[in-house]
Amino acid sequence: MSREASQERGARKQRTTNSSRWRGWVRHHRAMSLDSALRLVRTPLGSLFTMLAIAIALVLPAGLWLMLDGARLLDAELDASATATVYLASEVDDEEARRIQQALEAHAQVNASRLITASQGMEEFQRSLGLEDLLSQLPENPLPATIVLTPVDPEPSAMRQLADQLSTVTGVDEVRLDLAWLDRLRKLAELGRRATLGLGVLFGLGVLLVVGNTIRLAVASRRQEIEVVTLIGATHAFVRRPFLYSGAWYGFGGGLLALALLVLGGDWLATPISDLAASYGANYALPKLGWIGSATLLSCSTILGWLGAWLAVSQHLASIYPR
Amino acid sequence: MIVFEHVGKRYGGRFDALAALSFHIQRGEMVFLTGHSGAGKSSLLRLIMRLERPSRGRVLVAGHDIDTLHATQIPFYRRQIGVVFQDHQLLFDRSVFHNVALPLEIQGMEPRESARRVRAALDKVGLLHRERALPIELSGGEQQRVGIARAVVNKPALLLADEPTGNLDPQLSADIMALFEDFNRIGTTVMIASHDLALIARLRHRTLRLSDGRLAADQEAS
Ligand SMILES: Nc1ncnc2c1ncn2[C@@H]1O[C@H](COP(=O)(O)OP(=O)(O)OP(=O)(O)O)[C@@H](O)[C@H]1O
Ligand SMILES: [Mg+2]
Repeated sequence: MSREASQERGARKQRTTNSSRWRGWVRHHRAMSLDSALRLVRTPLGSLFTMLAIAIALVLPAGLWLMLDGARLLDAELDASATATVYLASEVDDEEARRIQQALEAHAQVNASRLITASQGMEEFQRSLGLEDLLSQLPENPLPATIVLTPVDPEPSAMRQLADQLSTVTGVDEVRLDLAWLDRLRKLAELGRRATLGLGVLFGLGVLLVVGNTIRLAVASRRQEIEVVTLIGATHAFVRRPFLYSGAWYGFGGGLLALALLVLGGDWLATPISDLAASYGANYALPKLGWIGSATLLSCSTILGWLGAWLAVSQHLASIYPR
Repeated sequence: MIVFEHVGKRYGGRFDALAALSFHIQRGEMVFLTGHSGAGKSSLLRLIMRLERPSRGRVLVAGHDIDTLHATQIPFYRRQIGVVFQDHQLLFDRSVFHNVALPLEIQGMEPRESARRVRAALDKVGLLHRERALPIELSGGEQQRVGIARAVVNKPALLLADEPTGNLDPQLSADIMALFEDFNRIGTTVMIASHDLALIARLRHRTLRLSDGRLAADQEAS
């Protein structure tokens, strides 16, 4: 046989063994994913508890995140309600006030404006206080005319700049911004976001520990099997595989339960939340997780389960092998 | 095939299970390993399987110092060795068939080819009719034969057996030894640790005798 022919034959043999090794690998993955799922099904109560523990750990950060997501929609509404109040000097009469309003509206940063003349202001004030009799006895109207402006840019710094510019306009006495509460709300939202992130990390760690502990017990109960397959040439990957699938299944099951809990909890809270929001005159509803959110939650929990299992098995393997 | 160079194995820092052990086993040889209980037979076999590392000296298998094997290479090294363990090391949660198939499963062998080989191996040890049984349902001797079938199913180049006939009656022991001789005849290097001096003497293969971890005698085949 010529050298080339034998080399070619060697190459072909190499290819077939590679492809058969690949098929063997795929087969083992399929067998182990099924086997580990069956093991979970065979101990339904224990599996359910583990999955519930995972689900509970996931529901809290996921639910908080949903609420914040809803608050972000609220943000737009808040921005629309950001206004500046321009108090005109008391000697300015209605006609001049209208002129000043036009001048202010010409400003590039002003989106819309509403004039409240001194008498209108008085009426509103009386109505809101219910003190008609008392105030009608005042000799003259002590209130100035005001113009309520909606800015183009609701950011606090931009609004402050606008206020500075407008306060130099003749006839303008003072410009007031009601930024404090808006600012506070923003800071609260930021705090909420960070707290959610922190909780998410902590509870993710919790999922890792729950799965890790469950898999550690499974590893302990199959110690002899691990020892035997290692004696006859199993790689670490081979030993890990069924446990990694178990971990991933736990994570997946826990994720599904978490989704169910989120839907149920969302329904349960929907009415009181919208009632509460309505009492503030806001239009807020707890948003649904949606397809992308659900898929993200499921993949996160599956990956966490896998990772927890990996840590548990690796710890075990490391504890037997160095001699 | 197997070379021991001044090998010592010390357990726990004080006790020498093996000391100054040197010998050479050719490819295709069949060798018995004898010695009193605690002489170090199992320890020697464990060194060859790279389940233990020598405290002193070198162990070479097929020309390689196996102490230099990287952790990721060890599984592939072990797949080339068939081992019959003194304590069987069967898995009690699966059938005889699946126990024997385990080495092939680990290598990712195609199920049909694997089943064919498993049945051939079970047939050789006379347990084909028990393939569906669980190991717990078998006698000690039958379990031992399942362990033997598992060791040979992969047609290894090197076969190590630790007391493979410990639980067998004389007739079955002779049959099993004949089976090992069959494997040896087709080129497998075979090393068997055994107490059964009468049987060993009858078979006239090379015999290494250990005493307190030292090589007390190296009797050539006759
Ligand atoms: N892991 C270990 N740790 C400490 N000492 C050990 C260990 N393994 C074996 N020994 C000791 O090493 C010595 C040799 O043991 P080994 O198992 O090799 O003997 P053996 O010849 O196989 O005996 P037997 O015929 O009873 O199986 C014994 O004294 C044993 O106590
Ligand atoms: Mg022994």
